[in-house]
Amino acid sequence: MGIKRSLLFLFFICGVIEARPISYSGGSTVMSNTDNMRDTFYYHYSPTYKYSLGLEAVKDDYFKTDFSYFRLTYLLNRKNTRYSQRNLYFQSGVSSKGLNNNFIGVHGDWETRRWFIGFGYKKVSNDIIEYDDKFLQLGVAPYLGEYGDFHTWVMVKSKKNDLLESWSTFPVLKFFKGNFLIEFGYNSKTEWDSHVMYRF
Amino acid sequence: MNKLIILSLTFVISYFSFAEESMNHDHEGHIHGALVDGSNLDVDPERYKEFMKGLENCQIAVVSVIGMVCDFCAQGIEKTFEKDETVKKIDVDLNKGKVLIAYSKNKKIEYKEIEQKILSNGQNATGLKVININ
Repeated sequence: MGIKRSLLFLFFICGVIEARPISYSGGSTVMSNTDNMRDTFYYHYSPTYKYSLGLEAVKDDYFKTDFSYFRLTYLLNRKNTRYSQRNLYFQSGVSSKGLNNNFIGVHGDWETRRWFIGFGYKKVSNDIIEYDDKFLQLGVAPYLGEYGDFHTWVMVKSKKNDLLESWSTFPVLKFFKGNFLIEFGYNSKTEWDSHVMYRF
Repeated sequence: MNKLIILSLTFVISYFSFAEESMNHDHEGHIHGALVDGSNLDVDPERYKEFMKGLENCQIAVVSVIGMVCDFCAQGIEKTFEKDETVKKIDVDLNKGKVLIAYSKNKKIEYKEIEQKILSNGQNATGLKVININ
């Protein structure tokens, strides 16, 4: 399989940690997420670094349905220091299936070049049910690369979707270089949990 | 009801949040007519030497930046400054928290403009030194 084919394959199988849900002013991002519940493909544009607007195509494996979300993410708070950045985002989406199909939530992270802590909470509604979806993620970079190098993160993610019964915790590897990021984890209960992102 | 609580909470946090972005900064000043080796700029000497290669008749802005923690931050800053035609070269050093920008000699370097461009990428500029290269 050629490199291009491999990348394309990864792009469409992968998915669910929304690293950097807002880009720099004028920046665009495409990302693909896959987990045991759904596969998504998401494009967003950031008019400023404070918010992004996007469209997300969702293949919902749990409810056996396909739809799209029109999404807004807003940076509620950012704290920059010499060695760290902390972010808190508000996120929301309205489905192509109608206003009753939507989600709202918060997403936060704190990151240095060495350490990462992230969390997310979403309240999701559809015509059938309302449920919560949440995660917590911790990571460490085993080495510090320069700008432009190949970067690696070793992480642990824990997540719970109310539609499933218990928390699921599993290791995650994240790699990124240039504009491209890929992140994936696996455990026997939730199977693949992965995320691919390209920023431009 | 839960959604209302989340919405209220997020907007209250939002209301108080952006005040934190107006970080204190220090326009450290200009170093006129001096080709320095970088030792008094708190930049990586090797990186600085590499950056200076081939540069002449220009001005170097050495910008201190906070909040640069990954390549995406660096890319955004690069892209923002590269839109400016008077920028000849740019280098982002995540480790030192420095951005080096080589401008044409005719450019009037304004701290406010640089600060705004860094902010448009989501980081904060905290200081600037300008070196004239003849």
